[in-house]
Amino acid sequence: MFPMHLLLAAATAAPPLTLADKIVAGVIISICGILMIAVLARVPLIYNIRNLFVRWPITLLTGSAFTLVVGLLVVMLGFVNGMYRLTENSGNKENIIILGQGTQDEVFSSLGFAAVDDIENLPGVMRDDQNRPVVSKETYVIVNQPITNPQPGRPKRRFLQLRGIEVPDLSGLVHRVELQGEWFSTAGVRPDPSGDASKPNLVESVIGQGIARTLAGDVGKESLTIGDQFVVGDRRCVVVGLMLSRGKTFDSEIWAKRDLVGKSFGKETYTTMVLRATTGKEAKRLEDFLKNDYSKGSIDPMLETKYFANLNGTNQQFLYAIMVVAAVMAVGGVFGVTNTMFAAIAQRTKDIGVMRLIGFGRLQILGSFMLESLFIALAGGALGCLLGSFADGWTANSVVGSGQGGGKSVVLELTVDWKIIAQCMLFSLVMGFIGGLMPAVSAMRLKLLDTLR
Amino acid sequence: MPDFKPPIVQVDQVHKYFKRGGERLDVLSGLSLNVQEGEFVALMGPSGSGKTTLLNLIAGLDTPSEGTIRIGDQVISSMSETQLAKWRTRNIGFVFQFYHLLPVLTAFENVELPMLLLPLSAAQRKQQALNALQLVGLEHRMQHRPGQLSGGQQQRVGIARAIVTDPTLIVADEPTGDLDAKSAVEILDLLCEIRRTLNKTIVLVTHDPRAADRADRILHLEKGKLVSETT
Amino acid sequence: MKLLLMMLKNVRRNLIRTILTAIGTMILVLVITGIWSVLEFLDNATSEKSQNIKGIVTERWQIPSQMPMSYARPLEDYSWQGPDNLMTWQFYGGTTDPAKRTFDSVFFAIALEPRKIHTMMDELDTLPPAEKQNLVDIAEKMTLKREGVVVGPGRLKLLKKQVGDRFKVTSFNYRGIDLEFEIVGTFPEGRYDLSAAMNRDYLNDAMDAWTKKAGKPHPMARKTLNLVWFKFPDATVFNDAADKIMNGPDFKEVPVKLETASSGIANFLEAYRDLLWGMRWLLCPAILVTLSMVVANAISISVRERRQELAVMKVLGFVPRQILILVLGEALLLGIFCGGISSSGAYYLVNKVFGGIPFPIAFFGAFKISTHALWWGPAIGATTAFLGSVVPAWSARTVKVSEVFSKVA
Repeated sequence: MFPMHLLLAAATAAPPLTLADKIVAGVIISICGILMIAVLARVPLIYNIRNLFVRWPITLLTGSAFTLVVGLLVVMLGFVNGMYRLTENSGNKENIIILGQGTQDEVFSSLGFAAVDDIENLPGVMRDDQNRPVVSKETYVIVNQPITNPQPGRPKRRFLQLRGIEVPDLSGLVHRVELQGEWFSTAGVRPDPSGDASKPNLVESVIGQGIARTLAGDVGKESLTIGDQFVVGDRRCVVVGLMLSRGKTFDSEIWAKRDLVGKSFGKETYTTMVLRATTGKEAKRLEDFLKNDYSKGSIDPMLETKYFANLNGTNQQFLYAIMVVAAVMAVGGVFGVTNTMFAAIAQRTKDIGVMRLIGFGRLQILGSFMLESLFIALAGGALGCLLGSFADGWTANSVVGSGQGGGKSVVLELTVDWKIIAQCMLFSLVMGFIGGLMPAVSAMRLKLLDTLR
Repeated sequence: MPDFKPPIVQVDQVHKYFKRGGERLDVLSGLSLNVQEGEFVALMGPSGSGKTTLLNLIAGLDTPSEGTIRIGDQVISSMSETQLAKWRTRNIGFVFQFYHLLPVLTAFENVELPMLLLPLSAAQRKQQALNALQLVGLEHRMQHRPGQLSGGQQQRVGIARAIVTDPTLIVADEPTGDLDAKSAVEILDLLCEIRRTLNKTIVLVTHDPRAADRADRILHLEKGKLVSETT
Repeated sequence: MKLLLMMLKNVRRNLIRTILTAIGTMILVLVITGIWSVLEFLDNATSEKSQNIKGIVTERWQIPSQMPMSYARPLEDYSWQGPDNLMTWQFYGGTTDPAKRTFDSVFFAIALEPRKIHTMMDELDTLPPAEKQNLVDIAEKMTLKREGVVVGPGRLKLLKKQVGDRFKVTSFNYRGIDLEFEIVGTFPEGRYDLSAAMNRDYLNDAMDAWTKKAGKPHPMARKTLNLVWFKFPDATVFNDAADKIMNGPDFKEVPVKLETASSGIANFLEAYRDLLWGMRWLLCPAILVTLSMVVANAISISVRERRQELAVMKVLGFVPRQILILVLGEALLLGIFCGGISSSGAYYLVNKVFGGIPFPIAFFGAFKISTHALWWGPAIGATTAFLGSVVPAWSARTVKVSEVFSKVA
């Protein structure tokens, strides 16, 4: 279906017009044509609208099908849009992400220490006001954490995404993270606040707002706040800072000192290194250099924007699934209109005759009945968009990934924007058009003298 | 009526037949007829005599198989369907037995309907529709829908719709056929009145002798031919 | 009986409307059947059982789980009735085209003991005898010829290979362990369409050889065992084993855990929770409602058109109840018929012809249409037809003879 094509086109490079695009273009042109006929040829609009109201139960039924289909489509597209936003917002165009060679996924990545040590000193890497290279060296692990009080019937474990970082404020700078609270200390740990020396130190951590809400569910709170404790693996952690990271993948992550993370989970090497270049252009040059001329370690450098774009694979899969579902549900809407309009025309054969008699042409009759189905589509679709747009801002869990297994689990925000509304309205009108076409053509083809018998 | 003026309706050697299977079914055979401007002509005849077919041909709803029909200065028998549709809007007003009003439109909107096809402003349309409704004496009911009007009133709306575009010719097919005696008389009075004041030409098909009595001429059809004429 | 005949005739009266309604019903039932099948499968997979429990041992904390292969031996001690009820999983991944590394050239194999293919793997352990014998033969070949692999038909197509072909794989996850394989058989269509399995000895020996040659262990040497499956007869045996494995002395190098497969799968599906919720509680109801509206629309139109006729029937002596049954029956007839055709057609086509619905969620590839679909279809058809036609049918029942005739001019 068309709107999805547009969305796909926007997400990837613009593909050449496919057959489906051409068909849709034809339908759009036809809709415009009908509207023009209506305006120029003085079709008595009021006549069609009155008729819709006169048989309101059927109009309502037909329109409701549109409302449902379109409303659901809006929600589904809002979901996928939220995923796209997430991956778009998470990447910076000046950043280069470096993973171990042959890996697309941080979880499987392994960078030697020596291999990457001098990369940060390359020209083109941005320096902060203390002349430190703006680089984030990270160890990323996923922890399969038992849930302390699992609800009956719900999973007993959840996956925590843990990112060990070296110099927290630099990492924050690289990823443009806004922080509430503070970064963890150089030691990365603090004594248990109870003062009981026999208890192990608490790991200081900075966590995203999304995971803060998830973890808070275990202790019956709305969201974890600074000073709250939670467990990762077998270590107790304390929240020292909250990342204001809504709409980024980091929203679902826990950041702590790399040494502690690596040691606890047996991952001693870096998995990931992210460089900030001075400019986007410089970033491209650096990526090129690292890919072709850097030989000290086996690494896979990639612009961060590209890296996150690769994580859109799952989104694409969802999008295709939505297309199929939307197409199928559209059948319901289309057939509803077709039935309704056939019945309307059967009932109003005499009216058609009178109009033809008075001098209305065949095209005007066609336009008049097409308008009627388009009006149902317009009203039903508009209501659907309205209802669907209430989903804007809902949060939902999902997975972004390359679409070949793996991926990051994320908390995303459903985003209904004007583009989606426009696409869904168009979708609705196309349904109305297709549904109304056959009956309207049959109305057009009625013979004048037969209609009055 | 001055003699030098050509007749407004000229039907010349018109044939109309249908092919059914291999058989040819003649409805009109070589019929000729003239109507002068401002004349009131009634067509009578038994069912199947071809009077409605003749009326349809004169009104441009159908085209003859052979022969020519000229209305005013136009030869309508050779027009295409689209040309006919345009021509009808300006030149013909219809009045039917079952009124044929659009049930969802008000009396006013029904009368306004044909004017949508003419290059008139909304204000002009409103004025003309009001005039027409005044003429038939229904201006006080113009916001009513057909369902809320009596049969006689509905037929008045039908007449108002027929005259609103100031057509050359008014054709009426059994306009009193569905009315009680009193209403029928009123409708006939109204038609005569319109003919007199607006100098309209009227062609009427009827079974009703009272209706026919009002006409200047009564033409009798039988088996697709004119058989007699009474004045 | 007469009434049934009349219903049939009415269904045939307005053919276009009947066909449109029928197609609409069929397509929507098809989608619901598909979605419910997926949901039912996932529900089954994640609901805890008290008998015939499958247990999975993985690394306690980290994902992906990577344990030393040396764990395999001591784990056998905890397997119920010996090593036959245990299966080790090692994953070997690579590409047949190291220069381009396209998606199609990916080769990903489960390294296992060949005979476990037909004794331990889901669905393959319950195949009909003929198909099972085929797998037994394949396992035999893989044992004798260690570079032998069994590949799913879908993957085979992507690789553009056939049984008997040999090919070389450049590994991504075991760098330097590039292996040559020979295809000795295929999996049945369906769940393992895109999978492949190899003999675990082939991988482990290659790792040992690398170590010997390099003089130092391969970086992945102690990380080759990804998971271990167990079959337990009931919860007591499972709990006992779980307790011993998690607290025992054997697994100190990398801590491990034993959990039920359903609980493991549930953890993975947690990420998709909202998505599944939306499918279950937004999509399905919306489709059902749309369906009811299409039916309601069609039926109410047909009732409207037939008011006069129904009034005549009343004059002839039909009682309101009979008219109600007539209209309801017409809808139900159509609904049950279309629903049945649609779901049984889907059952046959999806399962036998296409080999499952491709819906890549977590590690499941394709889903079969549930056998329950055979009654879901007619039931959905009947329910929606009933909901959609009950109002029009009632209004038909209450048609007032006098009113209808007064309207006829």
